[in-house]
Order: sequence, then C-alpha cells, then structure tokens
Amino acid sequence: MVSIRRVAAVAAVSMVGLSAACSGTDSTSSAVPGQPKDNSVIAQAPVAAAADILPGSTMEKIKQRGELIVGGSLDAPLLSQQNPTTGEIEGFDADMGKALAKYIIGQPKVKIVNAASETREALLSNGTVDVVFQTYTITPERAEQVAFAGPYYSSGLTIAVKKGTTGIAKPEDLNGKTVIAGANTPAIPAIKQLAPQATIVTFGSDPECVQALKQDRGVAYVQDETLLVADAQKDPSIQVVGSPFTTDPYGIGLKHGDDQFKKFVNDWLTKIQGQGVWQQIWKGSLGTVVQGEAPTPPQIGSVPGS
Amino acid sequence: MSALLDHLPEFWQGLIVTLQLTAASFAGAAVMGLVIAAMRVSPVPVLRGIGTAYVETLQNLPLLVLLVLAVFGLPEIGLQAGLQVTATVVIALYEGAYIAEALRSGVNAVSSGQGEAARALGLNFTQSLRHVVLPQALRTVIQPIGNIFIALTMNTSLAAAVGVVELTAAANRVNLLEAQPIPIFVGAGVAYAVIAACAGFVTGRLERRLAVVR
Repeated sequence: MVSIRRVAAVAAVSMVGLSAACSGTDSTSSAVPGQPKDNSVIAQAPVAAAADILPGSTMEKIKQRGELIVGGSLDAPLLSQQNPTTGEIEGFDADMGKALAKYIIGQPKVKIVNAASETREALLSNGTVDVVFQTYTITPERAEQVAFAGPYYSSGLTIAVKKGTTGIAKPEDLNGKTVIAGANTPAIPAIKQLAPQATIVTFGSDPECVQALKQDRGVAYVQDETLLVADAQKDPSIQVVGSPFTTDPYGIGLKHGDDQFKKFVNDWLTKIQGQGVWQQIWKGSLGTVVQGEAPTPPQIGSVPGS
Repeated sequence: MSALLDHLPEFWQGLIVTLQLTAASFAGAAVMGLVIAAMRVSPVPVLRGIGTAYVETLQNLPLLVLLVLAVFGLPEIGLQAGLQVTATVVIALYEGAYIAEALRSGVNAVSSGQGEAARALGLNFTQSLRHVVLPQALRTVIQPIGNIFIALTMNTSLAAAVGVVELTAAANRVNLLEAQPIPIFVGAGVAYAVIAACAGFVTGRLERRLAVVR
C-alpha cells in the first residue's frame, strides 16, 4: 500500500515536470481549469444548529477537533485539484467538502488526505478520514463496506478521440480496438461490459491518459464526461464523441454503520440543494466548462447502496 | 476470499505478464551489467568514465521517473515502442546499473595476484577477465545478484503506472469491481512472495554448488 501511494506521489511530481516541459505552446491557459473564484459560495453555506450536533456523535467529534478530514484527490481537474500557485484545493468535490466542514464546525476547515481507489474503504473503516469526496460511485458491493450519503452528483462516461478519427461513435465501436482509461475508474468495467473485445490500457492520471491518446497508445479515451469536456477545451487536438453512455451516481463515503452521521449528511445535502448553494458550487467548478444551468441534483437515496 | 477466487483468470494473466517482464528485463540487465562492469574495471579511462556515468545516472533516478519519461517523453522525439517493451527495456537498463555494481564488487574481491598471474601467462585484458577474474567474481556475487533479481521482480509492479497490466494492475482492476482490497492485495502479495522465495531458494542452491573453495 505504501508503495502505491509513493508511486502516485512520484508519478504526480514527474507528470508536473513533464507537462511543464510539454506545455510550452499553451502558456495562456492556466494550469487549473475553471476561473479563479472568491469563496463567497462557501460564505453563504449554512451552519448546522447546535441541536443538530448530537452529543457523542461523529459530528461532535469533528467539531471538537475543529477540522474535517476528507479523503480526496489533488489531481482531478474541476473536481478536486490543488492549484499550484495558491496551494488551495479547488473543484466541485473540494468545495462540497469545505461546505460540509462549515456546516459542522462553522468554518470551512478541511484537511484533505490523498486517498486512492484501493485505500478508500480502509481509510473510512479505520477512521483516518471522516468522509470521502472523490467521484466515489455508489455500488452495492462498496455499500457492504462503507455507508454512502447522497448521491450528491450524477455523471456519465463518454468517449474522446483524436480529432479526425472516424468510425467511433458509440461504445460498441470500441470492440477490437485499444482503449485508454484512467486506472481505477469505473470506465474499465463499463468498457468490458459494452465492448468485451476491446483492449484496455490504463494510466494513473488524466493528463497521462490525454498524452497517451495523442501518442496513439489507443484510439479512444473513455472517461467521465466533465473531465473530457475540460480536456477537449484545453487541447484542440482531441474531441468528445457522442453523449454519456453510463450513469454514475457519486456518493459521499462514510464509515459503515454510522447511520446518525449518514442522516446528518443527507439532511445537509437537502438543505444546500434547497438553498441553491449546491448549484453555485457546481457553477463555480464543473459549470465553467459545461454549458447551461446547473443540473437537477439526483434524488437522495435513489440508488441501490445509498 | 471469493473476490480472489472469482477472478483467478485475471490474476493469472497478470502473473504471466509479471513473469515475462521479470525474465526479459533480468536477462537484459545481466548483459548490461556485465558490459558496464567490464567497462568500469577496464584500463581505458574513457570506458571507465562512461561506466561510472551510466551507473551514477541510473542509480540516482527513481525507476518510476525513468518509466514515465520513456513512455511519455520518448514518443515526443519520435521513439515509440509498445508499453510492455518500453517497460522491459527501462527496467533492464535500470537494474543493469545495480548488477554492474554487484559484479564490480565481485571483481574487486578477486585478489590482484590472480590478474597479475593471468597477465604473466600472456592473456590480454579480455581473456584474463573472461577466463580468470569473472568466473571467480561471479561466484562470490551470486547472493547479491539474487537479491537484485528479487528487487527487480518487485520493481516490475511500477510498470502498472505506465499502462502495463501486470499483477499489481490486475489486482487494482479486480479491486475496482469487488472493493475488497485486503484479500485481493494479500493474494497479489503472496504471488510476489512465491516468486521471491523461489529466487531465494535457487540462489541458495547455486551458491553452495558453485562456491569457490579457498
């Protein structure tokens, strides 16, 4: 496990060096997609009534600690990415974490523990992190080990290709071809199901996958739609084809069996969605690359496992 | 446990790729190590310099950095090979530096009188290295080379980071479906341990059989 995290850290560092070396042409675009934003959204976010913080509960423990420990990413554009100039972690998942911290503690004090798909369940069950905000798709298998509040967002996988590629419009077209996917993303089982004859190559991070697509390591790249839209906007040599072919409901990972905390987080979600805070967080992050108004948030508890 | 047993074909496929990576890169590393060690003990200053530079460069860079640079950087200058081929070559070059150092320590362990005697018999540098020094040097470094082999086996897991679906990547993919990291990674760990134990057993046998009686 330690080595995997070390691997991730070294890969991140080396990719930063690599992308710095390769991105000489697009010096105008900032390293982090999404406009720099003030924290006014979080300032408007609600704070829980003292009566809601039940004595002896997880919420009380977090409040006394004065900091919410979130399992998350530092390298997911638009969702949870560390801004190299300010050191701030920005994006939809990151802001949701800050809003939850404010709701419990009164201030958006968050400590992000860099989690990975293979460590999330363990980090929650041994209490290293309080919650996980990390495009954590709710599945019945995972729900046996962790509790899910939400879903708080619903996304879908789609396909990106190099501009000018023909013959790929839907997932079935990927049969017999080499397809790039992010390691540990739901894209791998989805491709296996819809295009069983496809060969899947995986890379650790989104920039690596884009680089691999441009270097013809595969003919297509399957990833979450929002990420691909952001990639295609940054890089004119790739394009997104078709519309999303899966629905991935993202949940907030909590310790298994902590029903009190789950209800508390679900109540918070209902509250911020009703007050429009959720919609503003979306507009400040994912909404900077997706056209139109904020989507309707998914119904809480509507997914098996939530 | 069923998380492990239901996915045995995936694990098996991953294990095969791990063994291919291990075998091919160890063969490459052995050749590379021999050449570099010969350069480092040669009487030609230029060759010694090249050998030293090679060892210092490769030992002082993390393998993962080398892998990422080779996989994503080399295509930028027009050098592109398959992912597994690239990973094999990079691991071979990297571990070659370690094997070279182990061999050099073996050569240094052979007393200088042996080399002098070889020259006195009229053997040139290559001949004295091949017939007198290396056979004795190799026997003293069987154990360190066995350790490098084990380290190399573990290092093949870094190829997972550059898209090669070996044992670690296969375990990751199974875990993605099953969300049972403990049995899955313990299972993968046991497979690595078995490879390492076999290597340890073989080097132990070799060392006893080939020991130089002094």
